[in-house]
Amino acid sequence: MTWHPKERGATRRDFLMRSGGAALGLSSAGSLLAACGNSTTPSGGGGTGAGGEPVGPGGLPLARPDKRVTLPMWENPIESGLEPETGGTFTVFNYPAYFWKKLLKDFGKKYGVEVQYTPFDNIASGIQQLAAGSVQPDVMEMTPDHLDQVVAGKLIKPLNLDYIPNLQKNIWPELVDPFYDGGSHYTVPYTTYATGILWRNDQVTEDIASMQQPWDIFWQAQAYKGKTALLSEDRETIAMALLRKGITDINTEDPKQIDQAVSDLKELYGICNIKVGDSQYQTIPEGTAWLNQAWSGDPIAAYIYYLPAKTPSTTLSYWKAPKGHVPVQNDCFSICSTTKKPVLAHLFLNWMIDNGIAKSNFINFNGYQPPLNEIEPTGLLEELRKVRNASWGTTDKAPPENLQTAILTNDDFGPDTIQEMTLTAEGNALWQNGYSDFLSGG
Amino acid sequence: MYPRWLWPGFAFPGVLWLIILFVVPFYAVIGVAFGTVDPILLSAVPIWNPLEWNVGWVNETLTRLAPGGDLWVVFVRTCEYVFVSLGLSLLIGYPVAYYIARHASRTKNMLLILLILPFWISYLMRMLAWVNLLAPDGFVNRFLQFAHIIDQPYGFLDGQSSTVILALVYGYIPYLILPLYASLDRIDKSQIEAARDLGASPFRAFLHVTLPLSKTGILGGCVLIALPMFGDYYTPNLVSGAPTTSMLGNQIDLYFHSTSQPTIGAALTILLSLFLVVLMGYYLITVARATRNLESV
Amino acid sequence: MSDAALPTAPVPTVSLWRRTRGWITNPWGRPRFLVLITWGYMLWSIVPVLIAIQFSFNETRSRTIWSGFSLRWYTWDPSDSVMNDPSLRQALAQSFKLAGADVLVAVPIGVALALGLARWRGRGSGTSNFIMLFPLVTPEIVMGVSLLLVFTHIFTFVHTGTLAQILGHVTFSISYVVVIVRGRLFSIGRQYEEAAADLGASPGVALYRVLLPLLTPAIVASAAICFALSIDDFVISFWLSNGGGTVTVPMQIYAATRAAPLPSTNAIATIMVAVTLLTVLAGFLVFRAFTRGERAGGGGMVGDMAAFDI
Repeated sequence: MTWHPKERGATRRDFLMRSGGAALGLSSAGSLLAACGNSTTPSGGGGTGAGGEPVGPGGLPLARPDKRVTLPMWENPIESGLEPETGGTFTVFNYPAYFWKKLLKDFGKKYGVEVQYTPFDNIASGIQQLAAGSVQPDVMEMTPDHLDQVVAGKLIKPLNLDYIPNLQKNIWPELVDPFYDGGSHYTVPYTTYATGILWRNDQVTEDIASMQQPWDIFWQAQAYKGKTALLSEDRETIAMALLRKGITDINTEDPKQIDQAVSDLKELYGICNIKVGDSQYQTIPEGTAWLNQAWSGDPIAAYIYYLPAKTPSTTLSYWKAPKGHVPVQNDCFSICSTTKKPVLAHLFLNWMIDNGIAKSNFINFNGYQPPLNEIEPTGLLEELRKVRNASWGTTDKAPPENLQTAILTNDDFGPDTIQEMTLTAEGNALWQNGYSDFLSGG
Repeated sequence: MYPRWLWPGFAFPGVLWLIILFVVPFYAVIGVAFGTVDPILLSAVPIWNPLEWNVGWVNETLTRLAPGGDLWVVFVRTCEYVFVSLGLSLLIGYPVAYYIARHASRTKNMLLILLILPFWISYLMRMLAWVNLLAPDGFVNRFLQFAHIIDQPYGFLDGQSSTVILALVYGYIPYLILPLYASLDRIDKSQIEAARDLGASPFRAFLHVTLPLSKTGILGGCVLIALPMFGDYYTPNLVSGAPTTSMLGNQIDLYFHSTSQPTIGAALTILLSLFLVVLMGYYLITVARATRNLESV
Repeated sequence: MSDAALPTAPVPTVSLWRRTRGWITNPWGRPRFLVLITWGYMLWSIVPVLIAIQFSFNETRSRTIWSGFSLRWYTWDPSDSVMNDPSLRQALAQSFKLAGADVLVAVPIGVALALGLARWRGRGSGTSNFIMLFPLVTPEIVMGVSLLLVFTHIFTFVHTGTLAQILGHVTFSISYVVVIVRGRLFSIGRQYEEAAADLGASPGVALYRVLLPLLTPAIVASAAICFALSIDDFVISFWLSNGGGTVTVPMQIYAATRAAPLPSTNAIATIMVAVTLLTVLAGFLVFRAFTRGERAGGGGMVGDMAAFDI
């Protein structure tokens, strides 16, 4: 697939500079992707509902990969077969630079509206703005762990799936009827990613992937002092420490487990003077960092846009744990209750998961993989190789097999996976205070 | 000659603005710190009526700030950084201010310009300059390797306390030197000459005349840079990025931008302000007094 | 009587060490030790910035290894130069927007406040003075937090964004304007207005045609300083921004420096430094031009610098 280098450059680097820039909006919470789904504000007001199950806001049950939740529709969705509204503006509310503006312009031309893109710093502040009425968007990016909040607060509208045939056609089966939104009453999936380790194999000599517990590498990283970092995310860091000890419930609210995880993390100060940050997609290819906890979109972004031409692409290595031990996550889109164009909003969701559109958004702009059936790893790697050669003038002949691990498939999702999801208010506080303790450095 | 209402009238818009956008916001912080958190939206719900204040969050923050808590560690570290940076800044800055004030006659104007220059260079630009210099392949490392002082590039930016302290010194020292210079410049030469005439060596004249006379300048300058340093969080983020060098400002930043507990962030801000109010009060009273003296001229 | 008759003692040879030490500790010359420290400090203070500026003209992506002069990061790099990267252009635009709005609002309010505080003797003047001085000593993070909370909980119609940033900038700028203008007011004194009154001028005329022209240099100087402060501000802009279009240049530099800066970061920082210095220089020159007749012979720039002393 070809595009104008100018287009690609300006928009893609725009995004990547902005994700560094988005980091400033989130500061220690991390880049736009950081807050995607990796909750800073899980559902609160929790407690236990009938039957002793912990519940989230509004008494809605807390969803887990092995505990499906079907959210009740708080109003009837719109009728089928209506004509889309035209004229005026159509507002997309999302992380900064997370959707290619060129595609949005095309959508606007097709339906005769002016598409506006309103960014929010992170999902929590976005929801607050929505609730306060300071923005009135039509569609909004959503994360599964905040779904309870916005549904209980009636901030998003139920969907009429007759308008969104692409959902059944194009999206991975596991995410068509996801555990957090049974029947897709409110959301349509957007991007997927997992959390693993990204490193430069010219500096890090260990074969991390074949270690018995690869997360241990951080606790053995004395030689990489000052060049290692974790994601600046409360959920991601503590979850990593839990997984390292074999605890797979990354939504645990057991204070003992969390405390132990935090003490384990604190050992890292002395071992490798661990840093926290979200710019691994830049620092690793540029060589200022060698070993990082990273999301699966990072090595792809690094390969395409940050790895200097003279560095062989085989320098990057990515590992993620096998299913059931690797945190996976996905973002979604939903329709806001403030929309004046509900039919058009439905059509937007359908258009957004069209194979061509979603793939273009991914490869030309976003870097984070949409859950399309059409994408298969080998073909994708080949396309990535072409992108890199085009933008760096390199002559790589072979697709980057070392990035295979960064690509997700339908099999990576399902009931026996682990996903960071909503917690009760107390659980939330435990994780956040634990992370603050870790950040205090003492 | 002027009507009595004229001057208060002129002052009114400015005072009103400052009350609305400076004084009232403090009460917003207090309201949030003593408020609650909305269970659904997880946003702060401030409580304005003092009788209904919820002290839970403030108590929790106080407990963590007390010795033994995790925030105590950060607080102690922040104090350490500030004091060491102050000390270093004085050590470097006082001689410079002294020289410019008292000795540099021909080059005084040029030196003053050079002194004022950093004020107009963005703090971030100056930090960026150092991040470039301290990089593994930056000038400093290349020079040290060239001079055979070290073999491998030294990780200045790998989360070192010393780098953060030096960055703080570099960033804030201009704000110390200028008041020091102003105060030293005002010292009457004749007093020092008198001391010398009475037999004091240059050193003793300095110790017993110049130094005491510049005391207010020293204290004023120190307070002037200590206050922003206590709230600094971007400097450790720029030159370090490791939790082992985080300052109190980093925790406030964390609680507002990354968690669902802005109440703790607000409580921390209030506690920090209370701690600093002593310094702030001292400075304000001194300046107000000096202004009154000027007015009577 | 004649010099030739006096015996001359042999000149003792002094070791290099003693000569150097003598040069440094010479009590009759200028104190060399202080000279060394001062010039050393100046170099340490300015040279890193000069190097950063130099590397903004680097030909390659490196910020540490020089490969040749080029305007790449300013103009012709297709995706990352200041001209071609929309996020950098937008940051520049936002910074100038905020600075311009700041000057337009803060200077009139500040001048009025300076006049009021300098001359007002009644009740409330002391408190008002205190309130005016407070922003000067408040740590920026405290101000940022309080403004953020007031705009999200009390004055919610403002919420975060450009308007909030402008309001925040004005709030901390007013005090600087007051201090500068008030300093000038004190040095003018009341003599000219009283002379005008003696000659029959009404209060309004005395204010408008006598005092205001005398104040003009200070007003211009304070406008220049407001502009510079606003352009370089980081903390307040950061706390009151809501991403996207409200990112300013310091915020952009911060984000880039934390990740992996490019020379384009140096470039945009250089542009800011140039603009700020030019603005301050312009303000300063205007100040000097207007106050030409008032300066004592040797005071020169020194006195003017001291006028800025807060």
